[in-house]
Amino acid sequence: MTTLTVAVKYLRGRAVASALTALSVALGVSLIIASVLLARGIKDGFVEGTTDYSLVIGAKGSPAQLVLSVVFRMDVATPNILVRTLRYLERDPRVEVAVPVALGDAYQGFRYVATSPAYFAPFPWRRKTFSLSEGRFFDDEAPDRPTYGALLGSEAAHRSGLRVGDRFYEGEEMAEYPLTVIGILRPTRSADDRAIFFSLASFWGMNEVARKMHVKPLTAVLLRARRMSDLPSLNRELNVSTETQAVFPSAVLLTILNLLGVVEEALAAILAIVAVVVLLYVFVSMYGATLERQREIATMRALGARRATIMRIVLMESSTLAVIGGIAGVVGGHGVAGFGASVLAARGVLVRNPFAFSTLEPIVLVSVVLLGALAGLVPALLAYRTEVAENLAPLS
Amino acid sequence: MLTLSLWAAIGPLGFVAQADETPRLTFAQLVDSIRANFGVTQAISSYNGREVEIQGFIIPAGPPDLSFFLLSRVSALGNYCCEVPVGQDETVYVFAPKGVTIAYDPLRVYKVHGLFEAGMLSDPAYGPSLFRIRNARVVEAVGAKIFKVGETGK
Repeated sequence: MTTLTVAVKYLRGRAVASALTALSVALGVSLIIASVLLARGIKDGFVEGTTDYSLVIGAKGSPAQLVLSVVFRMDVATPNILVRTLRYLERDPRVEVAVPVALGDAYQGFRYVATSPAYFAPFPWRRKTFSLSEGRFFDDEAPDRPTYGALLGSEAAHRSGLRVGDRFYEGEEMAEYPLTVIGILRPTRSADDRAIFFSLASFWGMNEVARKMHVKPLTAVLLRARRMSDLPSLNRELNVSTETQAVFPSAVLLTILNLLGVVEEALAAILAIVAVVVLLYVFVSMYGATLERQREIATMRALGARRATIMRIVLMESSTLAVIGGIAGVVGGHGVAGFGASVLAARGVLVRNPFAFSTLEPIVLVSVVLLGALAGLVPALLAYRTEVAENLAPLS
Repeated sequence: MLTLSLWAAIGPLGFVAQADETPRLTFAQLVDSIRANFGVTQAISSYNGREVEIQGFIIPAGPPDLSFFLLSRVSALGNYCCEVPVGQDETVYVFAPKGVTIAYDPLRVYKVHGLFEAGMLSDPAYGPSLFRIRNARVVEAVGAKIFKVGETGK
C-alpha cells in the first residue's frame, strides 16, 4: 500500500471534515482567481473598448463624465454643445476628421447614439473596424430629411430581438417617430455593441427641443488631428473656450486605471488575509485529525512503519486536500468571474476575457499545494514524534 | 582573490558610469536643431539610432497602454495660464511596443529612454513627426527641470 493510498484512506475515513477543508480551500482560491480575473478583465475591457480618436470635445464639466458617457456609455451624457463647434473643427486645417456624437434616450436600455457615417469609416489609422452582419450603414442626411433608419450594435440586436426591417420606439412620445432597423453590426468588443446608431438628422427630428432649434445640438465631437503634435494646441484652444472642454480619452482612462490600481492593492491585502485564514483552517483541521489518531499512528509505528513514512502520510493528506481544493477553486473562480462578467456586462461594463487562462492559475495552484503542505507540516511533525509506548498504553 | 575584490569594487562603478553615458537631450536642443524644410542639424542627427534620455510631460494621445504617446515640454493640463502649448518642434513621438506601466500623472515629469530618431517621417498610425523615440522605457524624473530654448543643462 503506497503512502498516497493510506493518505486517501485517512481522508475518506473523515470524509465530512476532509470535504469541508477542501471546500474552504476551494472557496479561498475561487475568491482569489475571480477577483484577479475580474480586475484584469475590467482593465482590459476599458483599454480595448476605448476610442481610436485622440480628443473628445464636449460641454464644460467633468472629463471623466464626458469620456464615460461618449466612449463607454456608462454615465449620464454631458450637456449639449452646438453644431457650430463641429463646423469650426471641420474647417480647421489641423483636423483630419471630426465626428459628431449626440447621445439620446434608449430602447430597452440600449443607448441611442446619433452620429455621421464617418463614425464607422475604416481610416488607415484605426484599430477598430466596423462591419455589417446584415443590412447597410446609414447615409449622411440633410437635417430636414431624416429617414429614421437605425443601425444596431450586435448585442443590442441580439438582446432586443430586432431584425432588419423591424420598426421600434420606446415611450409614447416617440411613437410618432419610430425607427426602422436598416443594419446590424458585427461585434466590436466595445460599448458600440450595446448602442443603437442613427443619423443626426433623425436625432434632431425625433427630439422636440432640437426640432425647434436653429443651431442644432450635439453631445460631443471625436477628433483626429493631421499631426499628433497639434493636439496640445487644439486641446488648449478648446479648453480655454467658455463653451467646450477637450479631453484626451486615454488620459481619463489612465486616471481611472490608477484608481482601479488602488482598489486592486486593497483587494490584494484582503485576499492575503483570506489566504492566511484558509491556511489556518487547513492547519487546525490537520492538527485535530493528527491528535485524534495518535493511537492509530502508534499502532502503525508498532507494526513497523517508520517515522518518516508517518510524516509523509500526514503531509500527503494536507497536500491532497490542497490539490483538490485548488483545482476546484480554479474552476470555481473562472465560473464566478464569468458570472460576474455577465452581471457587469448587463450594466454596460466591459469585461474582457473573464475565462482566460494565464500563468496565474498554475502559480496559484502550486502556491496552494505548497501552502497546504506547509499547513500540514506541524501536524506531520507531531505525528513524527508520536511515541509508541505512550500512545499504545491501555485506555482506562 | 585580489582580482575578484577589485572587480567587486570597480564593477558597480563601471555600471554607474555606463548608465550615465546615455546622453540626455533637451527640448532646447531639439528646437535649436531644426532647419528649413523640416531639416535637422548634423549634431542632432548624430544621435539617430542611439540610446538617449529625454525628460518631459506625457500627453497620452495614443492608446491607454501608452504604446504610443507624446512627450512634450509643456503639460497638456494645468498650466494654461503660464505656458503656450508647444508644436512639433517641442514634441517627441514616443513608441513603446510593449506599453508602459506607470502611474500616469499629467503634471509629472517623466524620464524616457530609448532609441532616438530625428528627421521628418510619417507613421501610418500617428502621422508625421520630426523627433521620435522607439523601444521606450519610462520612469518618473523626480525633481527634474525641463529646459526651454536658451537654457542649457550645464
